[in-house]
Amino acid sequence: MKPPLLGVFLLVASFVLAPGIDAAARETIGMVRSSEGVATVTRGEEVLQATPGTKLLAGDILGTGPDATLGVIFRDNSTLSLGPESNLVIQEFLFSPAEGKLGLLARITRGSMAYLSGLIGKLAPGSARFETPTATIGIRGTRFAVKVGTPGSR
Amino acid sequence: MRGMPRILAVCFALLFLSSACASSRDVIILLPDEQGKTGAIIVSGEGGEQILSEPRQAVSVKPGTAPGKPFRMPEKEVRTLVGPALEALPQPPIQFILYFEHDTARLTGKSAKQVDDVLRTIRERAPVDISVVGHTDTLGSRKYNYRLSLERAQAVADILTAKGVDPSIIDITSHGKDNPLIPTGDQVAEPRNRRVEVTVR
Repeated sequence: MKPPLLGVFLLVASFVLAPGIDAAARETIGMVRSSEGVATVTRGEEVLQATPGTKLLAGDILGTGPDATLGVIFRDNSTLSLGPESNLVIQEFLFSPAEGKLGLLARITRGSMAYLSGLIGKLAPGSARFETPTATIGIRGTRFAVKVGTPGSR
Repeated sequence: MRGMPRILAVCFALLFLSSACASSRDVIILLPDEQGKTGAIIVSGEGGEQILSEPRQAVSVKPGTAPGKPFRMPEKEVRTLVGPALEALPQPPIQFILYFEHDTARLTGKSAKQVDDVLRTIRERAPVDISVVGHTDTLGSRKYNYRLSLERAQAVADILTAKGVDPSIIDITSHGKDNPLIPTGDQVAEPRNRRVEVTVR
């Protein structure tokens, strides 16, 4: 009789505890404003269709297919977009001005992106960073764009 | 003899392709914002960094090397490289500041008229999130002002929902006298601090 009871207890515990932990550790950091074509938000095993209103969490991977684009807006009022055939991981996003916790770290692995900095950039210059396969970009402001893997010689 | 050029051509093509792959680079371009203001970014690669601070200044970085010398990229090339991404960049949020009569949750005449602009923006940009943050000047106690600024924020939220805005997209916060727009000492009457900041994002 013991093992099933323990099993039931664990099952119930995981249901009761998991949402609380999840909500506290992973609050909404922004949302999708616009999308065209096949645009996705990958969260762990889950692949969500990115449509206007889709909420974003730290750790999400944004992706676009051929001819697709995606525009998002973060809680610090900064905005980010992806061009076609692009992938970007939002590794870290901290926005608690009252506690002085501010930071953004994202990594683009392919394709193209644009970013317009917001309050994180204004309140804590240098704490917003983007990585590409070859470089790290520290942001003082305000708008810039990246193209990964451009063939050519310049 | 006729076969030779073809083989050569294939060789050249392969050579070109492989060198193109080897020199595959990331390009980073600094651009002015909508107001025409250009900030600055620091691009670092292995063993070096470059600061970009002028409009359309760009730098390319090859794997395992320091960033190249910054150069001014022609508008046309910017569009070719990152045009679709730039067009997809959402507009930044719009903020409105609504002012109140002294010691009340009643909008000034001018601000009451501005509510229409807020509503228009909400409709044009839907779907949106709206944050409504109440503030006061520094006259009176902290506790009193916290409640007053909450009443102000609630009053604005009520006006918006009465005009059909979904209450679930409105986030109401009260800052009391802690976050003045115009810094003053304590117990100072300042009309510009009696306000609600509405951000439509």
